[in-house]
Amino acid sequence: MSAAQAQQKICSEWNPVNKNEHKGIWVYVEYVNGVIKDGSLQLIGKARELASKINTDVTAIMLGSNLGDVVKEPIYYGADRVIYVDHPALAKYVPHIYANVIVQLANKYKPEIILFAATKRGRELAPYVANSLRTGITADCTELDVDPKTRDLDQVRPTYGGNILAHIRTPTRRPQLASVRPNVFPTPPRDTSRKGEIIAETIDSIPNINGQGLIEVRPVVKGEELPPVEKADIVVVAGRGVGSADGVKLLTELARLLGGTIGGTKKVVDAGWLPADRQVGQTGKTIRPTLYIGVGVSGAIQHVFGMKESKVIVAINSDPNAPIFQYADYGIVGDYRDVVKELIELLRNYKK
Amino acid sequence: MSGLTIIVPVKAAVPNVTAVRLDPVTHNLVREGVPLMLNPYDRNALEFALRLKDRYGGKVITLSMAPPSGKDFLESTIGMGADEAYLITDRAFAGADTLATSYTVARSIQRLFPNFDLIVFGEETTDSTTAHMPAQVASWLSLPFVYYAVDAEVKLEDRLIVVTRYLEDEGVYETYEYKMPIIISVYKNSNPPRDISLVRKVEAKLNGLVKVVDNNTLKLERECIGLRGSPTIVAKIEDAKPIERKKQIFKGDPKEAAKWLLDNLTKEGVIRP
Repeated sequence: MSAAQAQQKICSEWNPVNKNEHKGIWVYVEYVNGVIKDGSLQLIGKARELASKINTDVTAIMLGSNLGDVVKEPIYYGADRVIYVDHPALAKYVPHIYANVIVQLANKYKPEIILFAATKRGRELAPYVANSLRTGITADCTELDVDPKTRDLDQVRPTYGGNILAHIRTPTRRPQLASVRPNVFPTPPRDTSRKGEIIAETIDSIPNINGQGLIEVRPVVKGEELPPVEKADIVVVAGRGVGSADGVKLLTELARLLGGTIGGTKKVVDAGWLPADRQVGQTGKTIRPTLYIGVGVSGAIQHVFGMKESKVIVAINSDPNAPIFQYADYGIVGDYRDVVKELIELLRNYKK
Repeated sequence: MSGLTIIVPVKAAVPNVTAVRLDPVTHNLVREGVPLMLNPYDRNALEFALRLKDRYGGKVITLSMAPPSGKDFLESTIGMGADEAYLITDRAFAGADTLATSYTVARSIQRLFPNFDLIVFGEETTDSTTAHMPAQVASWLSLPFVYYAVDAEVKLEDRLIVVTRYLEDEGVYETYEYKMPIIISVYKNSNPPRDISLVRKVEAKLNGLVKVVDNNTLKLERECIGLRGSPTIVAKIEDAKPIERKKQIFKGDPKEAAKWLLDNLTKEGVIRP
């Protein structure tokens, strides 16, 4: 963008921005029901890397009530500073209230970059914060880089089905906001000897919460105890080729014996053979296990998008021309029932 | 006591996301000459809105910022049960990112339907999948917002709404109470949509039921809309580079196949038998 364009008249509902006033990289650290989200910790690691390129520091933002010692955690994972707001009105998560508090903090401290984990809550908060600061935002990034000259954040996101990567920038506005898919970056090691600055911040006003707010939280009771797909080292994924809920059951047995978990493609979830939170792919979860085993998975681009970063990929499919074999390290062509039964048999014998 | 005025903003999505054409200069999606369809998740949102109307009365209005060809998919929303449909279209809106789009949608709603109770969005679109719009429109209108709704109950006399939503990644339902107006997005795996009545859709076309609104009516400031109102730029696009894979294929006896696989996986160090 040329200087002339940058000087252009801006929307009267936008505040003027002096880019030089904005310094530092922020990570919003999502803390819900006593747990810090892994996606937030992963972003602290990435933010460190970006900060060293533009010679700035990393600040973690935390909100809640009676936070206690948990505010030190971001420091242990690599943040230089934590700014937290501890207020009774933040005891329960209410989207517009949390978002407004982050907006107030950003207006006061003027960071140049704010990163959110693209969890369900993060995807809800980030666009409100960006819009209230009259700046751009990029959703579900899978890579981030920063230009040391312009300090522009290079926000990379797969788009239109995942076969195109778009590099998005916000050249004239600050801060620059992005949400980043959980599990695309590794979680940094926790080091309790790290020291950092901890700032308790107060805010001018919390929006009126009269008749506005969270009244009930109801966890879904889960019938089985296999870990979620994004947390397991080994994931067996059922595709439509497994044919039935019974097929999924057989694969679940295989997953159990391998010490892994079960997932499914969109088709399998749509058929009701697995719950939606086990869907792997563009409209489901992105996973990076050490071992992915796709059974009866054809390899549609939308699914591949969610698993292609796996360390080792195995495909079992009766169709030798299934696209999934193009992404596989090891492929077996054949009836999956026979092969999986043999695998189960062998693994049982190993256990004995 | 009046019923609810519910606005459902919808998007013309590109049906086949893997066969799109991008403008070589702006990297924006070429929409001219591409058949458009109603974003599938917007149908879940429309279903959510129609169920509220069925229970509490009122009307459901769909609205879309789209090229003139967007008329057809708005007729589909009338076919599904919407009472009115508005096409917000003007060359000046072209090239908008999500900030400029949300501005156009928010200000259009404010001007055309100042007394709305609810704005109900789909969770995201299948082509760009940002899920930005509901929160951004909430920000322009300074309203509370909540994503991933699966159900809602309304207390008409107090203008209160109790929304239940599902957080897929936490496996948790949360219930919120708000004073209306508020903005909701609907969880994409909920509220399976009713059929589109072709009779109603054809009637909508024959009777010109979709109302067209341009910027001569809305008078939105040029600097706030389209390309000029968009802070983000697509700096570069590239093909996603795949990781090199071994592509070793085994065909034959299942017993041997299973042994071959476990041996290789043990060698790779990814399983410990």
